[in-house]
Amino acid sequence: MSGQKITIEYNDRVVRQFLLATVIWGAVGMLVGVLIAAQLNFWQLNFATPWLTFGRLRPLHTNAVIFAFVGNMMFAGVYYSTQRLVKARLASDFLSALHFWGWQFIIVCAAVTLPLGLTRGKEYAELIWPINLMVVLIWVVFAVNFFWTLARRREPALYVAIWFYISTIVTIAMLYIVNHLSIPTSLLHSYPVFSGVQDALVQWWYGHNAVAFFLTTPILGIMYYFLPKAAERPVYSYRLSVVHFWSLVFVYIWAGPHHLLNTALPGWLQNLGMTFSLMLWAPSWGGMLNGLLTLRGAWHKLRTDPVLKFYAAAVTFYGMSTFEGPLLSIKSVNALAHYTDWIIGHVHAGTLGWNGFMAAGMIYWLLPRLWNKPLYSTALANLHFWIGTVGILLYVAAMWTSGITQGLMLNATTEHGTVLAYPNFLDTLNTIRPMMLMRVIGGGLYLAGWFLLVYNFYRTVKGAAPVNGTIEVYDEAPAPDAKLSLAGTFFSAPTVFWFLAVGFGSMWMFGTDLVSTAGIVGAVACLIAAFALVPSRSKAWGGWYEKLLLNALPFTLLVFFAVVAGGLIQIIPTVLVQKAKNVEDRIQTPYTPLELAGRDIYIREGCYLCHSQMIRTLVPDILRYGDYSRLGESIYDHPFQWGSKRTGPDLARVGVKYPNVWHLRHMEDPRAISPGSNMPTYPWLLNHSYNASVLPAKIKVQRMLGVPYGPLTAQQIFDSMDEQAKGIAKDLRTAGAYVDSDKEIVALISYLQTLGKSLPVITKSAPR
Amino acid sequence: MTPTPKPPLPDENDPLRPHSFDGIQEYDKRLPNWWLITLYGSIIFWAGYWFYYERAHIGHTNAQIVEQELAVIEATRLANAPVLDDASLWKMSRNPVFVDAGRATFETTCVSCHTKELTGMIGPNLVDRLWIHGGRPTEIYATVTQGVLAKGMPPWGPVLGPKKISETVAYILSHHQEGEPIEVQAAWVPPPPK
Repeated sequence: MSGQKITIEYNDRVVRQFLLATVIWGAVGMLVGVLIAAQLNFWQLNFATPWLTFGRLRPLHTNAVIFAFVGNMMFAGVYYSTQRLVKARLASDFLSALHFWGWQFIIVCAAVTLPLGLTRGKEYAELIWPINLMVVLIWVVFAVNFFWTLARRREPALYVAIWFYISTIVTIAMLYIVNHLSIPTSLLHSYPVFSGVQDALVQWWYGHNAVAFFLTTPILGIMYYFLPKAAERPVYSYRLSVVHFWSLVFVYIWAGPHHLLNTALPGWLQNLGMTFSLMLWAPSWGGMLNGLLTLRGAWHKLRTDPVLKFYAAAVTFYGMSTFEGPLLSIKSVNALAHYTDWIIGHVHAGTLGWNGFMAAGMIYWLLPRLWNKPLYSTALANLHFWIGTVGILLYVAAMWTSGITQGLMLNATTEHGTVLAYPNFLDTLNTIRPMMLMRVIGGGLYLAGWFLLVYNFYRTVKGAAPVNGTIEVYDEAPAPDAKLSLAGTFFSAPTVFWFLAVGFGSMWMFGTDLVSTAGIVGAVACLIAAFALVPSRSKAWGGWYEKLLLNALPFTLLVFFAVVAGGLIQIIPTVLVQKAKNVEDRIQTPYTPLELAGRDIYIREGCYLCHSQMIRTLVPDILRYGDYSRLGESIYDHPFQWGSKRTGPDLARVGVKYPNVWHLRHMEDPRAISPGSNMPTYPWLLNHSYNASVLPAKIKVQRMLGVPYGPLTAQQIFDSMDEQAKGIAKDLRTAGAYVDSDKEIVALISYLQTLGKSLPVITKSAPR
Repeated sequence: MTPTPKPPLPDENDPLRPHSFDGIQEYDKRLPNWWLITLYGSIIFWAGYWFYYERAHIGHTNAQIVEQELAVIEATRLANAPVLDDASLWKMSRNPVFVDAGRATFETTCVSCHTKELTGMIGPNLVDRLWIHGGRPTEIYATVTQGVLAKGMPPWGPVLGPKKISETVAYILSHHQEGEPIEVQAAWVPPPPK
């Protein structure tokens, strides 16, 4: 060894900052969650106030817990563990600080804009475009800081936790940018570039993989560092790490369409989504196995150590929800469960159980180390664990019961299967009310547990001196990568086999006769060759992989190729299909300016969070809501509004059901029309005037995006709005409702009344 | 309390990988067979499923399946279509079982527009002698089943089915007498809101 011994001080200041932010935003996000759960039981809790209604607070809850709570927790864990795993201080104090403060500024912006109704109208992607730009910028700061640190590492090889961090950084960047492509109409509003089915596909490619690469992979990385540390046991299996890492990042990306089963999404995408979701089961359980089996020999410590309790439970919940996920992706199970509370229960088993408990375990483990003082109270931490666990179990059990009950009721038929057994949607809603109340109690317990952590945190840190970790290393040039050239990376047997398998597999799946046959022959030959070579070559391949681990850039490139494949194969064909041909037998008429204004009000109020606009190809859906939805009926919808949950009924064909005055009375007081409804009241829609002046800019952007509007002048747009609004106001007047034609309710009614009024297309589409 | 004896550590003899990261060591245990079978099984399932639906087209598409099911439902409906005439509907309207069942449906489905007293609000009054779309029992039955889309009356046939609709019509008729005069009304003018 050359060089002198020097001491490196880690940047643990930024870790402490992120940890504190995790605790605070966690409390805020969960508090909003309990509030909105209570709103579903007691509509009065919406307080007839725009910024307190469910439709605006639900995005605040989801964004807060995903990006603020888990985001900050992930950054804390990544920065703490990476510095130690690569034996280097974070590359730049400035970038670390910029990352921290930038992220908090984004969260504050989100917390202000979402309740104001400023939204893009896509789930977990609601933030408006200026905030999107900031997110991208800060993510790049994170990436530069991280990879720069890797470049300065004194530890030549990359540990499995780092693999997961790399996949997170690369994939989230890709997903976030593509799903947030939009064209601004003003400083605060934009339309997504994709529409209808394309937007649906891109949205759930993003939405599903936000779960994968924001809530799963970084936390798996954190598990691979903190769990063996706390258990003081070796990781169970390195080769399981290798196999489950690569299969997980490759397969996850393909599974997005399972959010759109039995909808108007083309069948081949649904079949890909379902089968790849099933393939995801084993890779996910690989992570669970490596976590739980690492605890072998340390199980007795669970009795006393709250940290290990949290980890063991978290990994168990991870295993449970990653088994439930593939189950729910089976088309027939999905027909029952989709749009119901079962999905909410599934998500919360993952977020409360896996993310929340991993966060708690990590925080309790880090506190004494970052502040050099024992945890204030182990007993309180244990209590937190038990209260939290009971809370999750109540929550999840209630949502399972609720979802299955409502699903069965909604799908039940009578009279030889010709008629719905429960034609009134509210009958099904009011049956699950006790379970919805149970959810509030379970969520409340979980929140109470979190407050115990907040208190424990405060008492531990109070008066303690922060301490930064240090390490002694030999002062020498950072270990140069044992060079693996690009050729050595890509023209090695494992990568070549992988590329060939994906290539031949795709040829078989999508090619015409000859190509398809060549594909199957090639894939089988590939498989046989790979297996035949395993006994003699496995050592060499293992050696190649160990060499790859010394090379951060080639490793990152391979991760990128693994995650990009699924998206390319699913999205590109869907986006390239010419819109006019992609309609099945119906095509949407573009909205009139007034209807478009009404649609933007619908999006602003978050109606899509409780009402779908997608009648599935399922008999009960058709009996309840009318003919099943066709692709063409939402082909000009920027963004799509298919929805993901039905707290209220589907609205795809509501336009042909009720008179104008029904909608007015219903928005004013839902219970006057539908006794027993839990919908908030929207009195302000009757008082506020809609803003017509923004419509010319909005229609200009819609034209740019390919919606067939004529070249309308601003005056023509205003005249058209005025005329249509006056017609509706007149009709309302004859029905006894007096409202000025410039009120928001008039625009909203014009939109609702157009839903489901698409035109049949003369040219018959090819037989399905 | 005596401390529980520490269980022997498993795998004391298992080889560890040579390198450790910040003190974290790794075993290199082989992958469990059941895990591998799950992985390979799901891949084989994918290939079979894709072949069945997308290559050989043996499996039907969602739309084909649902169209078939809807055809069966239509056939069942036709086969079980009740023979209803004015006389039988009047008879039902004097039968308390029918009327009570009809009231239950009316109060969950119809009151939002026609009010609990049937005196009308968004939709027309059903207890006076004025009828817009015909006041004979079979005409009322047809109006409920097919709806009046232009006026915002949804077609209840597919949702409620013939049994519930005849009960509901019986309930409405229970507010009327057979043979009372029927007057034609052009359109419904709602009363001013209370």
